Amino acid sequence: MKDRYEQIGTVLILLLPLLFVLRGGYVQEVTGYVYLFLIQGYAAWFLFFKSGQPFFGYSVTMAIGAYGTIVLTIIYKWPLLASIFISAAMATMVGVLIFLATSRARGFYVSMASFLLAILFPNLIDALQPITGGRSGLYFSGITAIIGYEALYLLVIFLTAAITALFFWIMGTKAGKILTLISENDQLTQAVGINTLKYKIFAYTVAGFISGFGGALYVNYTGFISSVDIEVFTTLYIFFIPLIGGSRVFYGPILGALFVILMPELLVPVERYFRIFFGLIFILVIVLLPEGLAPNIQKLLGKMKPKHA
Amino acid sequence: MILNGIITGLIMGGILSLPVLGVAVIYGITGIPNFAIGVIGVFGGFLTWYFLSFNMGLAILIGVTVCFLVGYILQRILLTPISERGGDSTLFFIITVSVGFVFEGFIRAFSPRPNISLALPRIGTINIAGFTVEGFKIFALIFAIGTLVIIRLAEEHTEVGKSWQATSQNLKLAKFVGIKTSQVFSFASGIGCALACVGAIFWGSLYNLTTSSGWDLGFLGFIVAVVGGIGNIWGGIISALIMGMVMSFSGYLLGGMWQSVILYFIVILVLIIAPKGILGSERSL
Repeated sequence: MKDRYEQIGTVLILLLPLLFVLRGGYVQEVTGYVYLFLIQGYAAWFLFFKSGQPFFGYSVTMAIGAYGTIVLTIIYKWPLLASIFISAAMATMVGVLIFLATSRARGFYVSMASFLLAILFPNLIDALQPITGGRSGLYFSGITAIIGYEALYLLVIFLTAAITALFFWIMGTKAGKILTLISENDQLTQAVGINTLKYKIFAYTVAGFISGFGGALYVNYTGFISSVDIEVFTTLYIFFIPLIGGSRVFYGPILGALFVILMPELLVPVERYFRIFFGLIFILVIVLLPEGLAPNIQKLLGKMKPKHA
Repeated sequence: MILNGIITGLIMGGILSLPVLGVAVIYGITGIPNFAIGVIGVFGGFLTWYFLSFNMGLAILIGVTVCFLVGYILQRILLTPISERGGDSTLFFIITVSVGFVFEGFIRAFSPRPNISLALPRIGTINIAGFTVEGFKIFALIFAIGTLVIIRLAEEHTEVGKSWQATSQNLKLAKFVGIKTSQVFSFASGIGCALACVGAIFWGSLYNLTTSSGWDLGFLGFIVAVVGGIGNIWGGIISALIMGMVMSFSGYLLGGMWQSVILYFIVILVLIIAPKGILGSERSL
């Protein structure tokens, strides 16, 4: 029951910005940006932390969703909505294929293959410069041209909350419970007669699709994408979202996304030393708070509560 | 063109083999994949460049020594304690990438220039089958092969080398017979980072170094080591030479843009077909 309250609370927190629609400006822009990365962060939370699948190619699935939408809409003149869903499906296929291709290998080799794909992909985008724009990038008005920026902002908030609720719902189903078992002990889950391959493919399908869909939403919101936006560090930032926030609690990725996206904004006055602080903070959090920020904040709040006699 | 490609590939592979050797030494002995090694090496390269106008020998010594100390201290205060607490490869990947951020930050914050080239003496030119090669490039290749031979000989014929072997083969037994394994780990990490620094100095002299070169050199070093069989020194060197050729020929045939695409594509294929590398790994990730 406690889990259910925490899940509902998390989704409600995510919907909060709907109450005070900001009229454009910096805060709205950053809020939308945090939410777009939160979609990726929850995909990582679901696939890596809750299903135990060592995948590091989130920037790739996100990029396929983004570039696929632009290419299908502009070059092939497909309807926008169809382009978004087909691109998300393509991202799913890449994720599942990487998993199937590396299924002979174990653990860290799978991580390495997907991580190398994350290094390769921006280079591929640069090499395909005539189509993708390479480092100069591509501009895209997409949904903004149809419904306007304000409505798109609200849509991003709503869809992020809906996607988060979807992940929570999946974790409560039989498939979700089996994925939790797989993450805790893969061999034992197989030994009791469960077809783990089927459930792993399911996890990659869901996470790949959501990440690709999130990528499509990203390019619609920002109106621009280049190979710089999908550098290998993007995959690391995405991975850091549930890791720093705390993967054991449902609202952990929210804190993680605020931390990962807002930290660079807060460090603007010391921009020169940004990477030093960023790296040191990551090391300190990982070493001193291995469970992430959320459980420790929870403990701290618990201590601050007045004790009744 | 073919001869040109082979010679360029051999030289690229030779220089690449230095960080690969660093990765192989660190991983082979400590079992920890250190992704910061390239950035630390390039940090040493920038330090060398800064002091180069005073005295070349002293500048190289400062760069290499600082990298050795960074590797030593990093292992001592951060990586070994995490390893003893049961940290896995994924955790080390994240921690060492964060360490890489810190050192890249140092380069960005304190280097007066974002793009440098180390002006080392060129040692004339050598003619091979009608093709002229810079003497310095041949020196870089010989240095890389020489370093490999020295490390191999040291491993087999010195007390320190034998303690390395014992630690990498059976940690518990090594501790039982009185080997100070944490010191061995720190020393190996120091040597690995120093090798990466030498690789960065050569790279910076033949091509150039930017604030983000460390990631390229480190990831490249790591994936070449993976292809050879991570922790396997000979496998790493053969792989470095093959990858150098791949980079050279793909650059010639398809253009520089496709060079890294082809390289990473081949590495992913190797990971899929032979996850333990072309010569197999003595450890498994």
